[in-house]
Amino acid sequence: MIVVDEYLAARVVAGDWPDGLPDDDDIALTAARHWRLLQRIHKPSGGQLTGTIERLIQGELHALRFPHPEVLHVIDPRPLLDDAAEINARYNAGGLLISESLAAGLLHHRQLWFGSARNVGLRLASVAEDLAITIHVLD
Amino acid sequence: MVVSIADQLLEERRARRRAGDPRFTDEGRAIVRRLTTGDLAEEFGRSLDEISDADPSLSGHDYHD
Repeated sequence: MIVVDEYLAARVVAGDWPDGLPDDDDIALTAARHWRLLQRIHKPSGGQLTGTIERLIQGELHALRFPHPEVLHVIDPRPLLDDAAEINARYNAGGLLISESLAAGLLHHRQLWFGSARNVGLRLASVAEDLAITIHVLD
Repeated sequence: MVVSIADQLLEERRARRRAGDPRFTDEGRAIVRRLTTGDLAEEFGRSLDEISDADPSLSGHDYHD
């Protein structure tokens, strides 16, 4: 699987394939990152985001809420939890969001794919380097 | 050129993956572009950070410290 962040996941579901993203394996999002995306769908944060997200029609929202696995997998967190907890404990990695991403990246090709540099974060980048996980940013 | 069944199936799967969810319209795709690569990308990123920053189990922040 190719493990991506919320930015790339939304683009893939919407059919806006990011240049440079491999297309020879399934695309996957961790459960914690899907949780963040779902929170934004169900409760836009105000400002321009609210009006913009509310313009998505029911089928489009459904596609993001319940992605078809041929398009985007949401990774079952259970098999990753122990690895994520160990990463979090050893590196003080910063909670489930980062630790689960690192555990998923370690398991799946030792790679993580992001759609925005701001979404990587210093802590994730630092631990990824120590775990020999390559970070790709396609923005 | 002979294309094997395996190659044909894999190519069809790749095409479905790249096409995205068929329920998305051009208008919806344009909205997602604004959120992810357009004028709202920064705001979208900040709003995602707000969710994890407010949730100690996600962020690892301990507000009892």
